[in-house]
Amino acid sequence: MASDEGALGTAEAVRSLAPTSLTVGVVGAGTMGIGIAVTSARVGHRVIMHDLRPESVKSGTDGVARFLSRSVEKGKLSAAARDGALDCLSGVTDLGALEHCDVVIEAIFEDVDAKRELLARLDDIVRPDALIHTNTSTLSVTAIAAGSRLPERVVGSHYCNPAPLMSLVELVRGRLTSDAALDRTRLFLKGLGKRAVLCADVPGFIVNRFLVPFENDCIRALENGMGTVESIDRAITSGLRFPMGTFRLLDIVGLDIHKAVSLSLYDQLRDPRFAPPPLVDRMISAGQIGRKVARGFYEYDSAGLLGS
Amino acid sequence: MVNSTQIQKVAVLGMGTMGAGIAQVCAASGLDVVVLEATEARWHDGLGRMERFLDEGIRRGKVTPADRDATLARVRGTVSEHDLAAADLVIEAVSEDLELKLELLSRVAEKVRADAIVATNTSAMSVTELAVAVQNPERFGGLHFFNPAPLMPLVEVIGALQTSEHTLIALEQIAEVLGKQSIRTKDRPGFLVNRLLMPYLNQAIQEYDDGLADADDLDAALELGLGYPMGPLKTLDLIGLDTHLHATTAAWEQSRDPHLVAPPLLERLVAAGRLGDKSGAGFRSRK
Repeated sequence: MASDEGALGTAEAVRSLAPTSLTVGVVGAGTMGIGIAVTSARVGHRVIMHDLRPESVKSGTDGVARFLSRSVEKGKLSAAARDGALDCLSGVTDLGALEHCDVVIEAIFEDVDAKRELLARLDDIVRPDALIHTNTSTLSVTAIAAGSRLPERVVGSHYCNPAPLMSLVELVRGRLTSDAALDRTRLFLKGLGKRAVLCADVPGFIVNRFLVPFENDCIRALENGMGTVESIDRAITSGLRFPMGTFRLLDIVGLDIHKAVSLSLYDQLRDPRFAPPPLVDRMISAGQIGRKVARGFYEYDSAGLLGS
Repeated sequence: MVNSTQIQKVAVLGMGTMGAGIAQVCAASGLDVVVLEATEARWHDGLGRMERFLDEGIRRGKVTPADRDATLARVRGTVSEHDLAAADLVIEAVSEDLELKLELLSRVAEKVRADAIVATNTSAMSVTELAVAVQNPERFGGLHFFNPAPLMPLVEVIGALQTSEHTLIALEQIAEVLGKQSIRTKDRPGFLVNRLLMPYLNQAIQEYDDGLADADDLDAALELGLGYPMGPLKTLDLIGLDTHLHATTAAWEQSRDPHLVAPPLLERLVAAGRLGDKSGAGFRSRK
């Protein structure tokens, strides 16, 4: 949500943090994969993006190129730096092409079996001393690491969306993660210009573990007649000085996504603050899932854009 | 009944942190303010606090010396409720002690006009329970400011079961005169803002105690990840751990909601005298 590009500085400033150019594999060329690839490529790492289908790979590398070109337009990056980064970017459908990677960052869909299977396959491809990072946001790093024969090298590194703009990364130690893998991951993230926070391998890590129940509390306050959508958002922005009202934020996230994340956390924690309140289901039934359909807690002029 | 455009004279009950802040807000908005305190000494303490707050505003370029002088000239203190008789509006801001508030509200409501608006700034008590002490309770409601009152843009307007719609509208208009945004909410423990804030702060204390992350990382995650102006443990150190313990315990007693139970670490820190920034140590030591 918040853009803290200023805190990150220019890509040139960040580049100086990276001591050596590494080969970084990014598996999964969706939104997060693209963001992580941008973050790695612009500090001078060689980046190989992998996805299952050629068109997914192309959409991923195109996404990286588009982001870097926008950075050039905004004066955040020189054209030469962009060209250099793109020269070091490639896309593949063959997982075997990741064999020389120093770090492989897994950013595929949130399915523990799929992630475990991927890690098992990577064991046969990458060097034993290569780091394996998982960008999971809701699953257990320990559970994912169990897919690898070398779980001590598996580390959770959860980036915030949009990854190139948000400096925070949640650094998660699985039960079997080694000190060495954790220390090397810290250095790698520092080289990307990120602020890593070390947190336990618990559902939701830090950010979602605090955000999701707070959002549900706001929805319950609305259900209970403690205020209106507008007054509760004002309580949050003017009373608590949070940067965005909860209902504005939920409209951006999407009620369908919010429900899925809430339920996943609730199933793991059994704390009623994490359970999605009934209003969420009613809104999903009514098709009011947020900005992407121009209607959620607020109404919007056109899908995805202006608030009315 | 009085409406907001007729309000010229405000009586503020109590010159503690909140009372002094509210008196300053009213005076800065051009209203005449008389503050009731129990003793001359307490009045002077509070006045000193207001003067320092205004001087700090000058230092930061937010207040001119002329503004400060005009604000201070509109505030006077008294130890006698007889001096409040001309008030159009009463705002009660004494300490969170039920017996004290009930006795004082009853005594002051008798002295002011029968149609003067009477409001409480309580954050921990039921407005409905306090309304019982006020003659003509339909003119009574909650007007809840946040600390520091001169800087925080929001006030909550809270209707007791006895409060009339006219009074609620008048309180909203008063907030506007004072340059504040208002939101109307129900008389439930913590009202709206603190009802949302307290479970979040309690969660932060418990998760910290459980080893989720160290204090710096926990705060940084929420500042950088969600753009919050200050992480929860820093917030707790700022507001005072004893203050939070009192507030969340009061809300728990009225609701028995487990998310409002004071986490054991909070009680231990308060017992150890680690109250946050004001005592030099809380979740972090202040060097």
